[in-house]
Amino acid sequence: MMFDSFLQQVNLFFHAFTAQLYLTNILIIAFATLMGIIIGAIPGLTATMALALLINLSYGMQFDLAISFLLGVYVGAIMGGCYSAIMINIPGTPAAAATALDGFPLAKRGEGGLAIGTGVIASFVGMLISIACLIFITPFIYKIALKFGQWEYFLLAVFGVMICGNLSTGKDPVKGWVVGFLGFFTAMIGLDKVYAYPRFTLGLLQLKGGISLIPALIGVFGISEILIVLEEEIPYKILGKITKIIPSWKTIYSLIPTAIRSGIIGVGIGAVPGAGEDVAAWVAYDVGKRSSKQGEKFGTGCLEGVAAAETANNACIGGAMIPLLTLAIPGSPPAAMFLAAIWLHGVQPGPMLPIEHPGFLYEVAISLLIATFFMLILGLIIAKPIASILKIRREILMPIVLPLTVIGAYAGGVRIFDIKVTFFFGILGYILRKLDYPMAPLVLGIILGPLADISFRQALMQSRGSLIPLLGRPVGIVLLVAIAWIAYSGFRRTIEYTRKHTQKDTRVIQEG
Amino acid sequence: MGKMDKMAAADLIMGLFLIVFGGIAIRSSLNMKVYKTFLDAPGFFPFILGIIFIFLGSVMTFSSFRRKGFEQIKQSIKNFQIIYLFSNIKFKRVMILIALMVIYIFIFIDRLNFIIATALYLFFTLYYLKSANIIKIIFISIITSYLISAFFTSFFRIPLP
Repeated sequence: MMFDSFLQQVNLFFHAFTAQLYLTNILIIAFATLMGIIIGAIPGLTATMALALLINLSYGMQFDLAISFLLGVYVGAIMGGCYSAIMINIPGTPAAAATALDGFPLAKRGEGGLAIGTGVIASFVGMLISIACLIFITPFIYKIALKFGQWEYFLLAVFGVMICGNLSTGKDPVKGWVVGFLGFFTAMIGLDKVYAYPRFTLGLLQLKGGISLIPALIGVFGISEILIVLEEEIPYKILGKITKIIPSWKTIYSLIPTAIRSGIIGVGIGAVPGAGEDVAAWVAYDVGKRSSKQGEKFGTGCLEGVAAAETANNACIGGAMIPLLTLAIPGSPPAAMFLAAIWLHGVQPGPMLPIEHPGFLYEVAISLLIATFFMLILGLIIAKPIASILKIRREILMPIVLPLTVIGAYAGGVRIFDIKVTFFFGILGYILRKLDYPMAPLVLGIILGPLADISFRQALMQSRGSLIPLLGRPVGIVLLVAIAWIAYSGFRRTIEYTRKHTQKDTRVIQEG
Repeated sequence: MGKMDKMAAADLIMGLFLIVFGGIAIRSSLNMKVYKTFLDAPGFFPFILGIIFIFLGSVMTFSSFRRKGFEQIKQSIKNFQIIYLFSNIKFKRVMILIALMVIYIFIFIDRLNFIIATALYLFFTLYYLKSANIIKIIFISIITSYLISAFFTSFFRIPLP
């Protein structure tokens, strides 16, 4: 029985493999990966923004091609961030912030090419580890997810927002939770899914359809980013020339333990809802620094530091796909864009996905694999020419991004109202970011809001309005304990933050 | 005053806003129609969210009060820092960029052809940002808006606003 099931999976894998290997698909992935690398390399244009800008190109594509295209962009953009982190000390994406710590000192010493080469190869290794984990772990999660009832789905949605809020806020987790629940509230706008009753529509006909996910995401990540980048001039210059790129075999061999460790960390963090590539890179960098024999050299221009951060941020991609495909919960903000895109194409991820679309997991894995190889090849080839792209002034580039976000918002539903939604969420995102509120929980809240609403109401109806029968369910108990722990640790951090700043602020006010 | 102080004041305002917002959410949800029982009513989940907002808002308000948020708001008003904000270069720059976006999205796109609307938006924004000399700005605005339009409509058959 188990052997039959294994053979069936092998069969599905090879079917997906042959189905993905045709010229148009390969060319689309190559183009998407290149676009992702270029956009990711430009400071201010994040991986999420790359997907937000290029999602509109996928509207007219066949479903398979659209998936390949978006995954190519995702893989390329996360790696692309390392170029500007190394060459100009401004991470192209937040995921590459840890890379700059060692990459930039290396560039100052004239070893920028070597740092880029190491970053690209490390990203390649990270992707391979994450694809392997995606293929082998996902089927087990599907089996667990099949046992989930309405109550568990509700708790999972709350758990996702709570942990995302906790991880994405540096000092005060309450801020993360506030935006997460505001995301839930945003999802309540429009006709109620059970009785078609209009909620919070303010009498506007357009709001009856609810807030469309893609315009909201484009606003939060696109328009707010334009304003953040353009609000002040930050001149930068490219240091040194790119000479030798590919590191020696001896160097590559010495970095293998770091890459494997960081790859596993990346996958693990990627699988946590909303944590994202930047958290993965920082954690892997920190663990690398503690466990390395050359730990004291981290931050001074050490290839091991570059490898740790770059392996982890790319490994996060496969990790982020695990909860996305099994539970429809994105592991990172770019994964949220990907989820919105596949919803648009009519595919509903979740435990029923292997039944409704049996080979989908493997199609995703194969597309990621092809994109990974293109990322390696193109990443090494364009290391030198990318310097001229980085010279383009952001004051020219960022205004051009706005019309692209407008098209992205409009093209999905062909509604002018969606452009206005994008603008509103852009301004909201800008204000919240300036006030230190993270954006990932907001997005996760918008995505998980309908699930939380319906599941909670249905679970209570099934238990005839009593919470007692629901509290005895094993998976529910685990999730409840996890939520309670996150709440406890988060409030403790808030109390510590308040206590620390009460003393400081008293001093500041007393001094004048 | 450092950044930390400004955050305490902002957190206090946000905390109070959340309490009011939560109250409005609860009131609105209680006014929603109940079909069978309140547990499956459309207003049930927003009602729970309203309670959560009031709770989190109270935590934020309490925390910012402890961090002298109220004193900072008073000090800001006393020192005319709100007026100072409007003379801040960064703030002015963002306000003008937002105004240009509003004109583009709410006026130009509704009334003009996409290429013309985009070219005008790009021209005024690039000119304000002093991104290049005037000839280059005109060239970039026209060529970019035309290329974006041609790329999306001809190559990808995507409708433009």
